Amino acid sequence: MAPRERAEPEERERCITGVDGLDNILNGGIPRGNTVLVTGSVGTGKTSLCLEFLVHGAIAGENSLYVSVTENSEKLLANIIPYDFFDRKLIKEGHLVFIDLPVIYEKLGLEKLEFEFEEVNILITAIGNIVDELKIKRLVIDSITSVCYRLKTEENIRDFILKLGSMLSSRGCTSLLVSEISPAEERYSHYGVEEAIADGVVVTGNLERRGDLLRTLQVVKMRGTMHSRAKYVLDLTTVGVLLVPLLKGGSVAAATGG
Amino acid sequence: MVAVTTEVSEKLQALPEAAAVALRMKAEHYFDVIRAMLDIFATKKSLDAIYVTSTIPSTSIINALDVLEIPLDHIWFVDCISQIMMSPGQKHDHAIYVESPTMLENLMLKVEYLIRKTADRKNLVILDSINSLAIHNNTKILSEFLHILVNNLRAKEAYTLIFSMEEYETEEIRNMLNLVSDETLQVEGEG
Repeated sequence: MAPRERAEPEERERCITGVDGLDNILNGGIPRGNTVLVTGSVGTGKTSLCLEFLVHGAIAGENSLYVSVTENSEKLLANIIPYDFFDRKLIKEGHLVFIDLPVIYEKLGLEKLEFEFEEVNILITAIGNIVDELKIKRLVIDSITSVCYRLKTEENIRDFILKLGSMLSSRGCTSLLVSEISPAEERYSHYGVEEAIADGVVVTGNLERRGDLLRTLQVVKMRGTMHSRAKYVLDLTTVGVLLVPLLKGGSVAAATGG
Repeated sequence: MVAVTTEVSEKLQALPEAAAVALRMKAEHYFDVIRAMLDIFATKKSLDAIYVTSTIPSTSIINALDVLEIPLDHIWFVDCISQIMMSPGQKHDHAIYVESPTMLENLMLKVEYLIRKTADRKNLVILDSINSLAIHNNTKILSEFLHILVNNLRAKEAYTLIFSMEEYETEEIRNMLNLVSDETLQVEGEG
């Protein structure tokens, strides 16, 4: 009997993040339409990484949306790293859009501190409408932890992320959901649900080695692509996020922050 | 002393493109080697020099360059020693600082940053010195660091020069340099 030919899995289209090191780790970029959890403790570079992803998208002609949940986007823009490649024209021309989620809550009349199933649906529909209207191809929600805070139950959180991911994916929109965890956290998300549902998990953290504190990044999971699972050291610079492999020759004393 | 400068600059100019070279010298030839490298070799080849110092603070080298009348326009420093010395020295526009010579990954990141900032010209990366880095790091991590750095630089078509002071060389350092360098240049200082 002739051996049966096995069909090669079709290579998924990539969303090139523009962060060279990360695109190398991901073997060419994030599979388009994936919903990726970017998780880590404070000061580990999550927001900078996400902003750079959006700026590169906008430069490449993909409309990009940053949904700010906790910080006013004006304040965020004032503190943005002065990237060599960033041009405010991207905002003026509508390729890079900043929206404060509390403003959307207000417009939708979602003023309750706890959302039920129905409010979750209203919120997802509203985000979907914005994505459609502005033809968004890249989206960041910073942070999903703050949104989940209002959802209270695991079921609601699971439902929200599943529906959000599926809605964005069906529109070919690649999204990064920022998740905040404490340095001592042993899981990748605050509620433990987000990491299981997301298509990818990128962990940023601090690594203490003999008294030196290094910023690290590790791709733990990414559906639809082969990728490195090694830990890298990152630097936030005006030319963007730079990554190099974590050296293993020395004794690594303790790992914190994921 | 002019002989040393001439000798080193001639040896450097004979190197193939993007070579990784161990430069063995006596401490007394230090400034002649710097002149040969920065004033003659880098200028002739139109290279931007990235000078990684873990031996003496960048300000000391900048002062010496000033005395030697070598312009700083195309010379950049990654200074791994000033911060650990806790000296409130003046920061220089052409220097970026790494907290400690033990932060080898950050050192690589700063070199990468400067390579991107000087993208219009090819680079010469000088590591001064393997001996001082060996004071702060064990051989395993230092070998790994050199292996990654040198290969990265080679891929970027940059020259790598690694200083080694003969007086402070150990067998381990010699083995490490042999492993990562394309060749070793011995500064004779004669003639």
